[in-house]
Amino acid sequence: MSEIVIEESTDRGMIDLKGDPAEPGFLDAVKAVLELDLPLVPRSSLSSGDTTVLWLSTDQWLIVLPYAGSEQVTERLQAAVAPFHALAVDLSDARSIFRIRGIGAREVVMKGASVDLTHTDCIAGTVRRFNFADLATMVHVVSDRPETLDLYVFRSVGNYVRQFLDTAARPDARLVLWGRQ
Amino acid sequence: MTRTAAPYRLPHAAGLGRLIDRDRPLGFTFDGQRLSGYAGDTLASALLANGRRLVGRSFKYHRPRGIVGLGTEEMNALVGVGLGADHEPNLQATRVELRDGLVAVSQNRWPSLSFDIGQINDVFSRFIPGGFYYKTFKWPKSFWHHLYEPLIRRAAGLGRAPSGRDSSAYEQIRVDCDVLVVGGGPSGLAAAQAAAASGARVMLAEDQPSLGGVADLYDASDEFRAPPDVMVLTRTTALAHFHHNYLLLAERCLGEGPRQRLWKVRAKEVIVATGAIERPIAFANNDRPGVMMAEAARGYLARFAVAPGERGVVFTNNDEAYRTALLVRRTGAGEVTVVDIRKHPEGALVEEARRAGIPILAGTVVSQVESTAAGQAIEAVRIAAFRPGMSRLLRESRLPCDYVAVSGGYNPAVHLWCHNGGKLRYDMAIHAYRPDRHRDRMWAVGAANGTFDLEAALAESRFAGEQAAARALARSMASDMVAPQLKPRRQGAIEPIWFAPASRHYNDGHKHFVDFQNDVTVADLELAQREGYSSVEHTKRYTTWGMASDQGKTSSVLGLGILSEATGRPIPEIGVTTFRPPFTPLTFGTVAGAQKGPLFLAVRQTPVHDWHVANGATFEPVGHWRRAYCYPSGGEDKAAAIAREILSVRRAVGLLDASTLGKIEIRGRDAGTFLDRIYTNSFSTLKVGRCRYGLMLNELGFIIDDGVTARLADDHFLMHTTSGGADRIAAWLEEWLQTEWPDLQVLITPVTEQWAQFAVAGPKARTVLEALAATGESDVDVTAGSFPFMSWRAGRLGGFRVRIFRISFSGELSFEIATPARDGLRLWEALMTAGAPLGITAYGTEALHVLRAEKGYIVVGDETDGTVTPRDVGLDGLVSKTKRDFIGRRSLEQSFLRAEGRKELVGLLTEDPREVLPDGAHAVREVKANGPMATIGHVTSSYMSPTLERSIAMALIENGRSRMGETLTFPLEGGRLVKATIVSPVFYDPQGERQNV
Repeated sequence: MSEIVIEESTDRGMIDLKGDPAEPGFLDAVKAVLELDLPLVPRSSLSSGDTTVLWLSTDQWLIVLPYAGSEQVTERLQAAVAPFHALAVDLSDARSIFRIRGIGAREVVMKGASVDLTHTDCIAGTVRRFNFADLATMVHVVSDRPETLDLYVFRSVGNYVRQFLDTAARPDARLVLWGRQ
Repeated sequence: MTRTAAPYRLPHAAGLGRLIDRDRPLGFTFDGQRLSGYAGDTLASALLANGRRLVGRSFKYHRPRGIVGLGTEEMNALVGVGLGADHEPNLQATRVELRDGLVAVSQNRWPSLSFDIGQINDVFSRFIPGGFYYKTFKWPKSFWHHLYEPLIRRAAGLGRAPSGRDSSAYEQIRVDCDVLVVGGGPSGLAAAQAAAASGARVMLAEDQPSLGGVADLYDASDEFRAPPDVMVLTRTTALAHFHHNYLLLAERCLGEGPRQRLWKVRAKEVIVATGAIERPIAFANNDRPGVMMAEAARGYLARFAVAPGERGVVFTNNDEAYRTALLVRRTGAGEVTVVDIRKHPEGALVEEARRAGIPILAGTVVSQVESTAAGQAIEAVRIAAFRPGMSRLLRESRLPCDYVAVSGGYNPAVHLWCHNGGKLRYDMAIHAYRPDRHRDRMWAVGAANGTFDLEAALAESRFAGEQAAARALARSMASDMVAPQLKPRRQGAIEPIWFAPASRHYNDGHKHFVDFQNDVTVADLELAQREGYSSVEHTKRYTTWGMASDQGKTSSVLGLGILSEATGRPIPEIGVTTFRPPFTPLTFGTVAGAQKGPLFLAVRQTPVHDWHVANGATFEPVGHWRRAYCYPSGGEDKAAAIAREILSVRRAVGLLDASTLGKIEIRGRDAGTFLDRIYTNSFSTLKVGRCRYGLMLNELGFIIDDGVTARLADDHFLMHTTSGGADRIAAWLEEWLQTEWPDLQVLITPVTEQWAQFAVAGPKARTVLEALAATGESDVDVTAGSFPFMSWRAGRLGGFRVRIFRISFSGELSFEIATPARDGLRLWEALMTAGAPLGITAYGTEALHVLRAEKGYIVVGDETDGTVTPRDVGLDGLVSKTKRDFIGRRSLEQSFLRAEGRKELVGLLTEDPREVLPDGAHAVREVKANGPMATIGHVTSSYMSPTLERSIAMALIENGRSRMGETLTFPLEGGRLVKATIVSPVFYDPQGERQNV
């Protein structure tokens, strides 16, 4: 079994978008900028090219895109949603993203999490927001094979989370539940 | 009984020692003595194999105690394992797996196990009846604290705490499953297999290292494998069951990884297959080392090839214990006699024993145990004819033996069932409580359900497994699933016995123990009844029966039987005491998990944290942040560093890391209206590009936060909050929006973490910005004319993407520059470089506080404490008189918040300018030599001001503003009095000219 690999992703930008999907024209206005639909299914995400939109709640999304373009996209998005009851904020620097790869990546996160990530419905694309080591965090299941998770935490606790993950991922504490391979 | 080198470990023989590997001897020590055992031994079996009967001293009387049980039920053999910081106290020797080099020590003895001073308590035990402590240590009152409690604490207690920090790793994990099966005996395995076969996600937790439970000791198979597709955790104890099937399991891990792992499990269905616990019988001196449970005696023999002795007595009221006699006979492990209280024992096992020629004394009890002088080894038992109901024996005879294997029947292990309110019912067929109803989705199967017949147990378990899986998966149940029919047992009936009468007064050195761990005897329970403790829960607390780590595993039903006989009430009418978690003790390390040492708390760090560290900063906690407090350099102390930093700001320029400041973006058609309601002053009138200081109250009219809000666009604001209040205020805003004013079109997003933000403050602040602007792309004009006080600009400065706010918390010309967090450190360094020729100095939070105190600015949490209004701190001018409403407005109208006599914010100057009043010092109306003095207020902030070259303080003083010039007295510790004069809280630049340049 290969090692668990944990790396911080620093090349991605994030835009926090709030709005009412039921407001006529809102979804189209967003799509016109992102060329991507907003996911409306709870705990899901949609991707196209190098842009991924994560569902945060019924009226909130996190748009993940290359850092270099986030400022411009935010401005275009702000302009596009200006007529609506909506708010787009560039939060590209507010969070640290840890990419955890390898069989048992889920279990590494579960050692600090308030939820079980081995459910059969926790497939690629799933987004879960939960408490991790007493912190507000979010996981995005990037892919099932190879098992890859992105853990989103606030930047100020990045060092702490990195240390927690390294401890949880120690080879002598490796766990792979339910015979996953 | 003098033999010391007895061959307790029997030679290799068929069917014996199934768990040990004789090819792998292991060395260990017990109380410093070097002993040996085999791989597969428990500490208990290895001690018995070495002839160690005495393993501990009892809690109260310090009586010698030996090993009684085989697993989690063990109440005597609590030992400490490991050395120094790795020491773990209060482990059951029956559950400690032997490993090479293991160091174990006995507990609760002094100076040594075999000679213990405390056993004098046993001699004087007639003076230590139930409730002794309650009766004795009541008076005089002062004795409790100074004499009784220290003495009791020294005498009591079991293990010792480790000598230092535990270096082991621990971890926790959160999992869900459809069906959790607790117990890996035949019933648990059958249930798990059935549930998994139905497609459910099944976990099974087994306390022991191997599966099978005690099936091997009841002539069932001893080969068990984990069912396919079931997550099987061995060495894992189900500690506790909470609401909605949330359970804690503690796994004892092997190898180099974590020492223990706590599994936090949410199960849709729980199947309790925890088996049953054999119960003792109360007879005189039934706690002597060498008296053990019949199942345990059989277990040590069969599993570890350890003979409990050479000459045994099996004392029973049921057929199962005959298995012990039969195994002893079959394996040639010495002589054995069965003492059976039943007049006419019958059943297949009894017949088999008769055929094997085992002497059976029917209608007989063991009434007394004779032991060596120190009570450490058994020499014989006394036996007498018995009929139910008799209370005193007249004729006894003597039966030499060196061990007694006891069986008083079986109690279903209902602890987990009861942790969260499971109901029990008393079953007269088994003379024990068994599970009845449960509000959670919980099942009990097999012996845990009182079903002792193996075939019936397996059928019941499979049925429960299928049913549980079907319900968990929300499937309709197949038609071939029917509840199993219970077959009549082919065994003779059990006859209840709780108490074997004795020939002598039974509490004078001839105690009948009910609860071994807490030294509770039959006499104690009876005394409690005579003294009126008619509630079973009161009896429990008065006598300590069923308490502590054991939680009545062996003593519960036995004690109820005693109470039944003492009161003449049937057992079901007495009720049952509560079994509480944890099922077995757990270590603090398991509770803490990974969150200890550097992982104890997630400390928040700003983007400039590493620079602060590299530049010698000392830190202070602000919320979960660590902020740079000051930057001592060149051997100066903190006070010198703070003074240097302050003077740099006043004379040249300083740089502060203000990234922790709370920031919230607020946008929407109604954003202005919303802020008007949130703050005491108006924001709808604020012009785009401008900033305004705001005061936030709660509904009670008290200040909860303050800060500067900037208007980014018509419908867009950026609010700054205090560092500690950022999360709280964001939640406060959301709550008002979502629950009170859903009609307002406003959205908020906290953006604190997005920005690094620094204050450049001092007369040369603008020059620093201009110098930075010259280093790269810049489009922000920082000249006074185009960038006035209390306005903000966005753009590029020296190539950095910035928002600049011209606001001041120091009273100096000041700019707060925000940039995306990842560029924070670079901007900080660029500012330090640009400002170097001007003498720019990094300053910390203490300098920040002194600077603002010199200006009389409040800090929420220093000058306010949740009971302070704007008027109290002299900020009434910020409370709008024209706005229709804002949070707290109504409360401010209350008469007592406007009344005379409220404490008001003032400045203080001490008589001696070098004297710095302590924070929180109280001014008194009148100084008295003794007794309480009436306070008229207290110091809220107090500093040595290097700017003014004297001490300054702020205080909340009764009617303070009308007392200007008055001198107050502050009595300090040690009787010292400090006098200070009331002045305006604005000590420096009262006209505010310095920031307006």
